Amino acid sequence: MPETILKATNISKKYGKHNALHKVSIEIKRGMIYGLIGENGAGKSTFMRTVMGLITIDEGEIELFGETGITGLQRARRKMGQSIETPALYPDLTARENLRVQAANGGVSEREIDSLLRLMNLSHTGKKRTKNFSLGMRQRLAIACALVTNPEFLILDEPTNGLDPSGIVEMREIIQRLVTERGMTVLLSSHLLDELSQVATHYGILHDGKLIKELSQDELTNETRQYIELETSEVQTAVVVLNELGIRDYEVINGMEINIFERLDDVALINRSLVLAGVNVMRIGASRQKLEDYFLQLTEGSRHV
Amino acid sequence: MFNLLTAEKIKLLRSKKVWIVLGLFVIIPIYQALESKSSSLKQVLETVVNGATGILMMEKNGFAILLIVSAFISFFIGEEFQNGTIRNVLSLGRSRTQYYLTKLAVASLLAVVGILIMTALGIVTYTSLHGFGEVAGIHDYFSYAFKAFGTLLLLILANVSIYVMISFQSKSSAVSLIWSFLYTIATGFGAGIFLQTEHFKFITFWFTEAFLFYSDFANPAEISLYPRMVLVSLLTIVISSTIGILLFKRTDIK
Repeated sequence: MPETILKATNISKKYGKHNALHKVSIEIKRGMIYGLIGENGAGKSTFMRTVMGLITIDEGEIELFGETGITGLQRARRKMGQSIETPALYPDLTARENLRVQAANGGVSEREIDSLLRLMNLSHTGKKRTKNFSLGMRQRLAIACALVTNPEFLILDEPTNGLDPSGIVEMREIIQRLVTERGMTVLLSSHLLDELSQVATHYGILHDGKLIKELSQDELTNETRQYIELETSEVQTAVVVLNELGIRDYEVINGMEINIFERLDDVALINRSLVLAGVNVMRIGASRQKLEDYFLQLTEGSRHV
Repeated sequence: MFNLLTAEKIKLLRSKKVWIVLGLFVIIPIYQALESKSSSLKQVLETVVNGATGILMMEKNGFAILLIVSAFISFFIGEEFQNGTIRNVLSLGRSRTQYYLTKLAVASLLAVVGILIMTALGIVTYTSLHGFGEVAGIHDYFSYAFKAFGTLLLLILANVSIYVMISFQSKSSAVSLIWSFLYTIATGFGAGIFLQTEHFKFITFWFTEAFLFYSDFANPAEISLYPRMVLVSLLTIVISSTIGILLFKRTDIK
């Protein structure tokens, strides 16, 4: 049984009358890449800040590396690294100096600095001050700062925010390398499920301060069902053909599209039957429900509860 | 706390603001000495008239020192909140008390270094232009100089402590600058208003600026007030730091 790194139980935080977090419980075990997903304002950053001890909680309990209480949590937090929201750097210092400051803050030696600069592809920055870095470079340096104290648990809040597509791919690779090469446990957030799905092993969906769903990568794959996407100008005739074929699990999306959720291997047969019945098939093929649609389905559902 | 001080050292050595502050502490006494070259100085008006009275550079430049120090502290602490770098320290499990005290220690140290430079340069430049001379009515100069310097330094450090508290509560350089300035003006120049009244006169001398701005440290009669000034300064440091730490512990870091 893998060790529990973070166990948050019934965490609540209010700002005035607004529930930023409402009884959120999350358990993260060693080796997980736990993706926290939610719209802006869903409570992702607030939850991460409570774990880091940056904001106080109104209710609930946080256990880190099996430690609780003020002193215990302080001790446990020495094994953590974070980059929350915008990269927190000293703009007038170089990349190396920023790393030296964080190494001193953590009371660790500076011997990791060179390898971290190489890992984050920042070795060439020399005397360039971080205020002159691109956003991607600053994001990478912020993660290097989080790593300089050799954490076992890394918290990254929207690490791909503002990055271009190549930067996003690079960031994803870095996170995966940290897990495989350094055996880290990662909690990261995004408002894009599609993006998280390419790196996370487990997911927690936050909406309006509540954790509305938790699922593993396998469960997510099952939940986001595959289907046959059919586009035709004669939907009514197509429906008759589908019924004749014994297909019952389908959905008419609009006057032009039908999504068929069964007999996924029978695309050719369905196509032939439709053509023989004189249905003008404009497009047919296997597809997967978009993760963003799945996410919206969940959050819309919770809104109506 | 030693680790946090090491981190501060790395930051300060590369900080332009530190060098600007120290530069001002160098320029002010030299400029004032050169300005005084051609005129005959009166101790009551100019405070520093020769090398011996150079020990009172803090009294002469009280307002300027407070403005410089408050501006430095506002940026020094406010930028940690604005850049988000405070998160890097606190999320490592460092106690907020340690962090607060580190900032207070560094701000105080910079103020002490600056004041030492200003006072030393004041003594040297005024001695070279007006001679070392003496402080009228003072027979044991070294004892007097030690007491006057120590008392003035504590009065300044009490204000440093207040500015640190204000900066931690403001969480922004600009807001902290404004509040620190208002505090200095209100407790310094506003104290004159209380002095005019019979019933509230006593309040005036519970604010360190009142001593800085309204006392004549070269007047032997006022030397007896030094213990009270020391007491008020120490109380200010203890109370403001306690309030500052307690409030900071309850502050949510965005």
